[in-house]
Formats: sequence, C-alpha cells, structure tokens
Amino acid sequence: MSAWLEASVSRKLGNFKLDAAISMQREIGVLFGPSGSGKSQTLRLLCGLARPDSGDVRLNGRVLVQKPGGVFVPASRRCIGVVFQNLALFPHMTVLENVLYGLKKEETGRACEWIEKVRMSEMKQRYPSQLSGGQRQRVALARALAPLPDLLLLDEPFSALDGPLRRNLRRELKKLHRETGIPILYVTHHIEDACALGDRVFFMKQGKISATLPVEDLWNPESQIDTWQLLGWGNLFRGEIASSEGGVWFSWGGGKLLLSPSITGRGEARAFIAPHHVKILYPHVPVDSQLAPNVMHGKIVETVHLGGVARVLVKINNCQWQIEHPMESYGGLDLHEGEDIRVSIRPRCISVLRQCEKGGV
Amino acid sequence: MNAAFLISLKVLAVDIPLLLILGTSLGWLLARRRFPGREFVHLLVLLPIALPPSVLGLYMLILLGRAPLIHDLGLLFSFPAAAMAPLLPALPIMVQAARSGFLAVDEGLEDAARTLGSGELSVFYRVTFPLARRFLLAGLALSSARALGDFGVTLMIAGNMPGRTQTLPLYIFSRVEALDLVSAHVAAVLLTFVGIASLVLVRALEGKSHERLA
Repeated sequence: MSAWLEASVSRKLGNFKLDAAISMQREIGVLFGPSGSGKSQTLRLLCGLARPDSGDVRLNGRVLVQKPGGVFVPASRRCIGVVFQNLALFPHMTVLENVLYGLKKEETGRACEWIEKVRMSEMKQRYPSQLSGGQRQRVALARALAPLPDLLLLDEPFSALDGPLRRNLRRELKKLHRETGIPILYVTHHIEDACALGDRVFFMKQGKISATLPVEDLWNPESQIDTWQLLGWGNLFRGEIASSEGGVWFSWGGGKLLLSPSITGRGEARAFIAPHHVKILYPHVPVDSQLAPNVMHGKIVETVHLGGVARVLVKINNCQWQIEHPMESYGGLDLHEGEDIRVSIRPRCISVLRQCEKGGV
Repeated sequence: MNAAFLISLKVLAVDIPLLLILGTSLGWLLARRRFPGREFVHLLVLLPIALPPSVLGLYMLILLGRAPLIHDLGLLFSFPAAAMAPLLPALPIMVQAARSGFLAVDEGLEDAARTLGSGELSVFYRVTFPLARRFLLAGLALSSARALGDFGVTLMIAGNMPGRTQTLPLYIFSRVEALDLVSAHVAAVLLTFVGIASLVLVRALEGKSHERLA
C-alpha cells in the first residue's frame, strides 16, 4: 500500500541545506529535533508556503510538487491545514469568523459544530484578543480542521503553554485525530510531546531526517536503536525513579536528580534533558533555589560555537552532557576547555519517558 | 469664493480615488514585494516631500509643456493640470501610510489565509486590507488635506484663473493681493477647519486601531 503522504524536498538557504524525506500513513507523525534543524522550513515546503529547489510531494494520491517536472500546487489548493507556532488567528475576526474562513459562507452550521467540538461555543462571538492562550489554541485547531484537510501540520503550537494545559490539549488533539482520521504531522523539540502524541517519530538533524522510528522504540529499553545516537542532540539517560527525602528522584549512573513533584510512577525510566535546559552556574553567585538540588560538577571537554549559541560538552561522572548557552553571555564567563564548571537543571525541565507515558496522555 | 470652493471640491473628487488607488498599490509593492530598484522607486516616491513646490512645478511645466505627445494633450493651465498638480506632493504621504500599514500586518496571517484556501486577491481583501485599513484611512485624510491645500505646484502648471483653475489657496492669495482680507479670512477659516478635521480623524483612527488588536 502506498503511503498517504510521500514527500521528499530539498532547498538551499544560504549555507543551510534542507533535504527531508517523509513518508507516513493516516497517523500522527512527530517531527522532532533541535531548534534550527529545519523542522519549520520542512512544514513550509510541505504546505506550499515555500518552494523547494527540487522535490516530490504526493498526498492522498495527488501530486503537489514535482520538480523537475514543473508541478507546484500553491498552498491555497493543497488541502493541508496548518496550526502555526503563533497561531495566526485573524485579529479582526471573531472566533466564528475565524473558523468559517476556510469554509463556504453558507457553512456556518459546520463552523459552529467545530467550535463546539473544541468546547468554545460560549465564546464564538469573541475576538482572539479576548481569549486565553489555551482557548486560542483550540480555535486555531478548529479553524485548521474545519475544511477537513488531507493533512494537518502543527508547528509547535503548544510551546507557550505550561504542563497541565499542554497535556489537556495533547489529549484533545489525539481525540480529534481519532474522530476525523485526519493524519497529523506535529513539529516539536519537546520529547514529551513526541512520546505522548506520536505514532511515528521523524528525527531531524541539520536539515536531514536522520531516523524514523515507531514511538514505542523511544522508551523501549530492549530496543536495539539508541535514540541518543540517532539524534545526536540532547541528554538521554537510563535510570530509575524513586521517592525519598520528600521528593521524586531520578537515579542515573552519575548521580541523582530531583524531578518535578507532578511525576507519578516509579521504576525504570529514561530521562531527557534538552541542552538549553542545563544551566551553567556563575561562580561566587548564590544558586537559585529551584536549581540548588540538582547542582553537578563537571569538566569542559569541548566548546562549539553555533551562531548565537555556544554548545558545550561537559564530562560529569564519566558521562558526556550537552549544554547550550547563549553566546553573548558565554563569552563573559571566560570558560576554557579542561576547566571545572558547575551546572544545574530545574526539576520541571527534566522529561521522564516511560511506557506509561504513551498510554497515559 | 464659491467658484474656487467648487473647483477645490472637483480637484478632491479626482484626487482622492487616485490617491487611494496609486498610494495603496505603491505602498503594497514597497512593503510586500522584492524587486530590483525597489529602493530607487521608494526614494523617487518620497522626493516631492523634500523638493520645493516651485522646483516640482518647474519640472512638471517642462514635462507637460515640452515632452512630445504629452505636450499635444494641451494639459497646461487647464482643470486637468489643476487636478494633477496636488497629487505630486500628496502622494508620498499616502504611500508612506500604506506602506507602514502593510508592514504592520503580520505576514504569518497572510500565510494562514493561504493555507485555508485563499488566493492572493482574496488574502488581500479579507486579511491584509482590513488590517491595514486604519492606516490607509489616516493616510488618505492627511494626503487629501495636503492636496486641498496645494499652492505652489498648482500655480506653476495650472495658473490662477478664476473659474477655471483657481482653487481655494490660490483664491486666498489673490484676495490678499487685492487687499480684500475679509474674503481671504473666510476661505482661510474653511481650509483651517478641514485641516483640523482631518487631523482629528487621523488621531481617532490611530486610537481605534489598537482596540481589538491589543
């Protein structure tokens, strides 16, 4: 059976070369990778807001791009819904007018059904500026889904939301997917989103899809595939979760880390910490109370300058950690390879991946 | 004064639609399209603000009076010249306002409209134009006031012929020359009122533009 979406696009942007190939069925795919890896650009190429230098995109049997070949279907005729990172709700239109935008004028009833599906019926005459962050997300989802697209693309739409709200919206998104059968491609750099939402994860690194694997393999300790090696970004450790000393702790080969109290379940797990969440502590400056429990000592192995970010490899208890620090303040720290440093992580920035995460969304 | 008032109204009747169409199109082009020579076009559009009206008038006089084909149209010192003259100094105001308005519209909103099935024209009429509308109206109010008050360029290419090309500002000039200060005052009060009204309108639009978008 041929895939629902079969896409291979490449585009050169200055020194950056994007070369992505994605194939998926009517499922939820997650495009996961660090900032600047080309995830959002891939979405723009898929939905027709950017032109590839070359490529081939087929969706539901329709050819959307064939270059060379001269086929380029514009965004307006692709039947691909998009929820943008900033949501892009039309500020001069009410909730109802926003949802009605992609429908015919006489389809007000259908727009109202969608507004009801996302539980916004009470607010359909309000303007986006009168809504909360979570409500705006719902409206953006309803607007993108109302025309029943062949594919829904989401570009980190929940990035500005906190834990519980984020979990609720993920749950709603899965429910909408089950009800409509519309396949979803979701872009994120939060590993919890990938685990909680996806059927399949596409890892993206430096403009290329470095690996594709079913989401089960992310948390399956028996899996032969080492996620860390595939991605080459982030800090992923195996360990165990246990309660003690009035908190929930993750014990790994190199020590213990305090986790967010909201984390339930105990036993074997993996913890993922994004490099930008590992904070370098300034010497002779009191440590923030949230950072204090997780202070670790290490030695700088290497520093790589990546645009506005310094990527620092630090050896902590025989394990290598990736740390990203803004370039402008890194210079002020005056750190060199081989020097000792102190780092820490806020408990809420540690993502725990377990089998129960998948079922528990 | 009635004749001058009527001619000024006729000039506005011609210039307001032209300012709206030309100013909006040029403003949109400068805000949204990248093309070779864009900076040059922008400078050229703004140039009338920096040049003295007599210089502008002189060049227009040469263009309308000497350029082949245009010369044959016989536009000089006629109503069409009186209607055309205020466009030059007023157009930059409209273009700048339109350009700022279109730049203030988040391109992400236009992209969202495209993914929802809108073609380029529909994106403009349903998203870009309504969101930039207050800027456009403010620009139109200011540029119309400037067009109504034009003196130098009109005098240079349309002359000061009562009943044919004499607009209100030229009427005031003639009345002052004839030491008929009362008539000059009446016309001046009228123009001052129009100027204040257009500024009040602009301020009101600026205030409202943030109400729903805040």
